[in-house]
Amino acid sequence: MGERITFAVAAAAALISAGLVITLKSAFRAAVSLIVTLISVAVLFLIQSAQFVAAIQVIVYAGAIVVLFLFVIAYLGERRVEETVDPLGRMHVFGWLTALGLGGFAALAIANSRLPGLRDDPRKVGNIGGPEAIGQTFLNHQLVAFEATSLVLLVAAVGAVVLAKRAGGAGVGR
Amino acid sequence: METNLGWIVLALPLAGALILSLWPGEPPKAVTRAVGVGSVFLAFVLTAVVFAGMLGDDPSSRSHVDGLWEWITVGDLRVDLAIQIDPLSVLMMLVITGVGFLIHLYSTEYMAHSAGYRRFFAEMNFFVFSMLLLVQAANFVFLIVGWAFVGLASYLLIGFDYDRPAAVAAAKKAFVINVIGDVGMVIAAWLIMREVGSLDYGAVLSAAPGAFGDSGVADAVALLLFVGAAAKSAQVPLHTWLPDAMEGPTPVSALIHAATMVTAGVYLVVRTHALYEIAPVAGDVVAVVGGVTLLMAATIAVAQVDIKRVLAWSTVSQIGYMIMGAGLGAYAGAMFHFLTHAFFKALLFLAAGIVIHALAGEQSMDRMGGLNRYLRFAYFAIAVGCLAIAGIPGLSGFFSKDEILAVALEAGTLGIVLWVMGTVAAALTAFYMFRLLFRTFHATEPEGGYAHTPHPSGWAMNVPVAILAVLAAIGGWLQVPGGWHAISDWLAPVLADVPEPLEATTRGEWITSLVTSGLALVAIGAAWKIFGRDDTRRRALARRFAGPRPVLEEAYLFDEVYEQTVVQPGRDLADAMLTGVEPRGVQGIVVAAATTVRDAAVGMRALQTGLVRTYVFAVAAGAVVVAVVIALVR
Amino acid sequence: MTGVPPSLYLGVSVALFLLGLIGVMIRRNPLMLLLAVELLLNAANVALVGFSRYWGNTDGHIFALVVMVVAAAEVVVGLGLVVAVFRNRLRLDVDEMSTMKG
Repeated sequence: MGERITFAVAAAAALISAGLVITLKSAFRAAVSLIVTLISVAVLFLIQSAQFVAAIQVIVYAGAIVVLFLFVIAYLGERRVEETVDPLGRMHVFGWLTALGLGGFAALAIANSRLPGLRDDPRKVGNIGGPEAIGQTFLNHQLVAFEATSLVLLVAAVGAVVLAKRAGGAGVGR
Repeated sequence: METNLGWIVLALPLAGALILSLWPGEPPKAVTRAVGVGSVFLAFVLTAVVFAGMLGDDPSSRSHVDGLWEWITVGDLRVDLAIQIDPLSVLMMLVITGVGFLIHLYSTEYMAHSAGYRRFFAEMNFFVFSMLLLVQAANFVFLIVGWAFVGLASYLLIGFDYDRPAAVAAAKKAFVINVIGDVGMVIAAWLIMREVGSLDYGAVLSAAPGAFGDSGVADAVALLLFVGAAAKSAQVPLHTWLPDAMEGPTPVSALIHAATMVTAGVYLVVRTHALYEIAPVAGDVVAVVGGVTLLMAATIAVAQVDIKRVLAWSTVSQIGYMIMGAGLGAYAGAMFHFLTHAFFKALLFLAAGIVIHALAGEQSMDRMGGLNRYLRFAYFAIAVGCLAIAGIPGLSGFFSKDEILAVALEAGTLGIVLWVMGTVAAALTAFYMFRLLFRTFHATEPEGGYAHTPHPSGWAMNVPVAILAVLAAIGGWLQVPGGWHAISDWLAPVLADVPEPLEATTRGEWITSLVTSGLALVAIGAAWKIFGRDDTRRRALARRFAGPRPVLEEAYLFDEVYEQTVVQPGRDLADAMLTGVEPRGVQGIVVAAATTVRDAAVGMRALQTGLVRTYVFAVAAGAVVVAVVIALVR
Repeated sequence: MTGVPPSLYLGVSVALFLLGLIGVMIRRNPLMLLLAVELLLNAANVALVGFSRYWGNTDGHIFALVVMVVAAAEVVVGLGLVVAVFRNRLRLDVDEMSTMKG
């Protein structure tokens, strides 16, 4: 019963705050809402025995990435990121329609899925989300993926440095 | 040992050509000289070593074939990258590298003022390589490669002064006519492959008597090969390119268009004599073509004014003798005449080159005359050459030409007819050669003086001319009727398979020698009467022959006829294609395709808004469409 | 019935994804675009972790961690671009960044 209550609260918080992220005019507030979403998602992870991923979610996502967002928003200043009337306003309708269509099909797919036990109580699982399990899987079975992610990070770091340098070299950052 | 040296001989001029071509920037003239002349000289020395080595061998073991690697393997056919060193190819190699070396040496001075010094020697070395490849090849494929390479070298060197339209046109003409010959040879090679299943000389020629089902195929092969030979050796009716080829520098004319390349046809007939032995019709055709050519070219040479063109027509005529001899079966005689002709015709060209060089490029005999006071050395050199070619007893042309004619006398009715033609042409030869000598060095100085004050030549030009003069004088003593037969003996292993070799009788040789020498002396006397002293007799004669003279000057209008029957229709066809078919057919299709693609692209461009959000929408909408399709299909 | 069936987790994942998708489509501020993309990635992570529990193995967690790494890299580069655009004094509007249109 405890899982159900936790799930209801966390899921509601995640969806409401996600709705705020995409509707709030102020980028600063939207970023703060995103923190709420991310922590709620971390709770969802936790109740599914994904302790390690939940921790990383809080540390890296809520702790590092969103802080980076807030820093950039503060650096650019609130005023510059205000939005004017959207010239593609009519497209919003189609956007919502498309989203609803996709959602409908997803609900149909979940409701009609033939995977056994998808709509029943979850099975008991062992310790699949602890650091030891993660480490074993990463280093024993997914080593290539592990190395590839480090490469991705390296490329991103180099790219960020190059971008920063070029922008400065353009002579605008006086 | 012989074949290893043969490969080196082949590689040396190629290396020279490559070094000179790839040298960064413009190499110093000393380097160009050292590489260009040195490579050919080394090749000559090594060829001489091969020759000396073979002299010590037993005559029956003087033929060597060596393949470097397998080149082509198709089904049962196998073609190796192979060379053949035997008495025939060594004889050719000696002339190519020996005379080639002398002419290279000569060129160092003759071409000294040319801007394309390096290019000249690179192309000359390439020619020597190609010619060696041609004579050293051990199969027909390789032969055709060398055959095409010498055509290319000839093209490059005729068009050496590529800023002169006449030179470019002449180069093009030579190339196109030579390609006609190449096509004939390729078809012949295909027929041989079909009949014998091999393209190696050894296999084909030893199998020749039985391998060709009936003589019709053998005739076809022999005639197709002769198309190639006739194109390369400027025989009627494919002879028109050689006089035009005189647009090239004089050393080129001496080496390529007198001494070596144009005799490749003779070499081919001698090399494949086994085919001609079983193809009687082809042999007769070859002999007749040679006879017609030698007489026709001799008559044309009489009326030419350009000094190099006289020599060019003389070359056509002399090769006619060789081809006639080879067609009749006098293979050793043909090769003997090839040897002596290489000496005296190279001598004549090089000595004429001294005159042309001294007059700063003037080639018309109308602007010469009385030059013996200024250019004594060239005068004596040309005099020796003229005496040799005219067949004066004791000099080289006498022995070699008379041997061919004496053999012709033994070849039945056709032989008698050809003998008469050859004898008449021999008299004409003496006449036009001494006309050249007298008009250039005797007679009177031209009105208005020379184009340039004549100046004597340096040692680099004189030494080769002197050596060639000595060779032209004494070269005939290699083979003396009734005495010894050095050339025939040397070639005997190659010609051993000729079933019934034609031999000249002593009586025939006496008759021929007496008649030709007598006629030559008469012709020289007539030339002296007409051209020796002043212009009056010459002009009177020119007026009397005002009718036929233009026909001779224009070489029996062959060029005109080809222009009307081949060149102009080709041009018309090209024009028709250009104005009729091309704009609507080719161009139309291309333009239509391009327009369609462009119009479609203009329409599609509207989809590329550049707005990221529309792309996201498109992706999402696409996902919905896919989902709908999946739902409906299930 | 005491636990939560996996289908509900998938439902949350779908809802989050749709919210992110709408955000990408209607917002023009590149910062908001990046925030919405984070929502999309989180929706995927919820599904991955949910299926990891359903199958009882760790592979989904690994995948989720890789997604986080990609998200971090994407944010670094994306924010770098935003700052570069800002430094060049352009308006912060993704519709303005359309010079690569046909």
